[in-house]
Amino acid sequence: MDNLDAARLQMAFTLMFHIVFACIGMVMPFFMIVAHKKWLNTKNPVYLKLTKSWQKGVAIFFVTGAVSGTALSFELGLLWPEFMKHAGPIIGMPFSLEGAAFFVEAIALGFYLYGWNKIPEKFHWYTGLIVGISGVASGILVVSANGWMNAPSGFDYINGEFLNIDPVKALLNPAWFTQALHMTLAAFTATGFAVAGIHAFQIYRKRQVELHKKAFKIAITFGAVAAILQPLSGDLSAKDIAKRQPVKLAAMEAHYETKQGAPLYIGGIVDSEKREVNYKIEIPNALSFLAFGDFNAEVKGLNDFPEDIRPNVPIVHYAFQIMVGIGTLLLVVGLVFFISLKRKQWWQNNKFWLLFVALAPLGFIALEAGWVVTEVGRQPWIIHNIMKTKDAVTPMPGMVFSFYMYVILYSILAVAVTWLMARQIKSLNNTELV
Amino acid sequence: MLYVVLFFLMVSLLLYVLLAGADFGAGIIELFSSRQNRANTKKKIYRVIGPVWEANHIWIIIVIVILWVGFPNFYNVLMIYLHIPLTLILLGITIRGVSFVFRHYDAYKDKSQKLYDWMFRLGSLVTPIFLGMTFGAMIGGQIEVNSDMNNATFYELFIKSWLNTFSILVGLFFTSLCAFLAAILLIGEAKTERKLYVKRARNANVIVIIIGFIVLIYGFLNNISFVTDFIKNPFSIGLVALSGLLIYPLTYNIKKVRRIKSRFLAGTQVVLILCAAMVTHFPHLIISSSSTINLLESVAAPKVISVLGISLIIGGLIILPGVYHLFKSFKMIKILEKF
Repeated sequence: MDNLDAARLQMAFTLMFHIVFACIGMVMPFFMIVAHKKWLNTKNPVYLKLTKSWQKGVAIFFVTGAVSGTALSFELGLLWPEFMKHAGPIIGMPFSLEGAAFFVEAIALGFYLYGWNKIPEKFHWYTGLIVGISGVASGILVVSANGWMNAPSGFDYINGEFLNIDPVKALLNPAWFTQALHMTLAAFTATGFAVAGIHAFQIYRKRQVELHKKAFKIAITFGAVAAILQPLSGDLSAKDIAKRQPVKLAAMEAHYETKQGAPLYIGGIVDSEKREVNYKIEIPNALSFLAFGDFNAEVKGLNDFPEDIRPNVPIVHYAFQIMVGIGTLLLVVGLVFFISLKRKQWWQNNKFWLLFVALAPLGFIALEAGWVVTEVGRQPWIIHNIMKTKDAVTPMPGMVFSFYMYVILYSILAVAVTWLMARQIKSLNNTELV
Repeated sequence: MLYVVLFFLMVSLLLYVLLAGADFGAGIIELFSSRQNRANTKKKIYRVIGPVWEANHIWIIIVIVILWVGFPNFYNVLMIYLHIPLTLILLGITIRGVSFVFRHYDAYKDKSQKLYDWMFRLGSLVTPIFLGMTFGAMIGGQIEVNSDMNNATFYELFIKSWLNTFSILVGLFFTSLCAFLAAILLIGEAKTERKLYVKRARNANVIVIIIGFIVLIYGFLNNISFVTDFIKNPFSIGLVALSGLLIYPLTYNIKKVRRIKSRFLAGTQVVLILCAAMVTHFPHLIISSSSTINLLESVAAPKVISVLGISLIIGGLIILPGVYHLFKSFKMIKILEKF
């Protein structure tokens, strides 16, 4: 493994780890405050118990997200010093605002976790709300920095120098809105389905059914609504990418030949040597329509781009298929949930709960796959059409050891957090309601 | 605007050293306590830093972001040549952070607590050592910035600058400062064992002075330019002397059980020592083997600085009152609990 590959793998691995924790840390506070509000309104102790157990989850995930985020803020520079030297000043604004939002979140979380019975009830609830809002705000802001890598703006690139820097314009780059919307909805979908799945498992096992049903309903409502809205945001993203990064779109669809009225491939195995896709389902003209809103529009194929600026097609294509496939599945199941609210007998059927148990990890798999699409799809560029990833990597050799260290450390952390969560649920099931 | 940015950079750095330093120190004090005192100290640490420690550690992110946005070349040198110690700091921060939460939020308090406790204590010890070593490397004059990468060995480029006696001494010095801060902080929380923490604070203080002298003598004998300049610089010496004089009001206030005042005085002492170190070479904050790197010469474009300054002012207006209220609320609560 050469230095560049090791650095890229380390970045991918740590980002993938961080994203899971950051998403849970930013979405779970909303579940928590809904339960908290219900406790304040109904004084039903089940809701208090639920709020308190969710807050422990929030604390554990927040810290894991925070430390892995701190690590990332260093890693950007440690792994990609050349990138940060030039990009740092340009994309400083989203990062400094993100830092501020994150800080607000930490302060509010301090109030929330330690404020029970100590600060006024209403104020206490609002600090919980601030945790959620500032968490989402920092997520949206940090995506702006990634959007800038896809749609560099706010500077003039003259003779290899970045001149006339305008940080505000860089913050408001054209990729920001679609990416941030897509990511926020994805975070709600993934976390909603994951948390709902965990509680569905407890209902399936007939443990504290009343409590877990309440928990399930809160979590899945967020997840289902987001899953139903997600295709709209996906459509915006696709049209945006078609315009700005046609080569990424072509890689997502494994679309080699430039064509008018291009077909959409579903599934299929990419043969990158022969430049064709086998065993696919073909929907005529659909790609042209999805990308440009016109059944006969011309979609540029990969063959029209020079070899050295093409991303790895199979990886991008498969990741895209996984994301869209799971997204569609979760949309359908989201609708199933809303129908089940009218047909209460479904809730008596254990297979209904088993369905949600099976779906629990899928949202996060789709979310990771989506990041693979956008990150691998941008290669070989670190800044689209400006700087290549290989020119940004640290000159320090031996990055492979650093990569292994992070793999070991984060694997241990992932196991530890899962184990702690299992213990939380066990203790929740074993204690009697007061 | 540059001065606004510099102001926030220095304030964030000082706050990180003070607040996170006291957090690290708390773990160190726990590590060096006898078995029966450990459980007690653990409870106190949870009470005194539990609500605030996450906020305390975000200051380092602010420092990093200001550096990369405002001073990209300066940041670039740090990130390339001090890659290894910075990674070790991250490792320490990660282990310490998660073990703190694990030990207080695990649903069952069983044998696994022992593991969390040791992770927390050791993480608290090694992180400030590596932080200090990184600082030692910045001022130690052994970073080979201008050399051709192909002509130097891995050791010369990436290890020698931070893994040497001077850097290790600076690391130990910073670690003992952390322990000193934490001991003063914990005195305020103690009811029955005040004497114990007073003793710890005194020990830590003695160690700070001894290691401080060793750093200066070692640096002087080995002709480390930072140290020779430090000794010659009247401001640096003056600030250190002032910091030393503050020991008298500090002991007086500890005797009189004035916790806020004694914490404030101890904090001021540490700030003075840091300022003394900063002022020696400012703005040449990195001293490499062949030259110095001027913080003010690697400033980003004026527009970037002005936007950064505005962002920091807005962020500061939101954050600083929040931090203040967080600290105040939980101190108020503790005082109310006593009655």
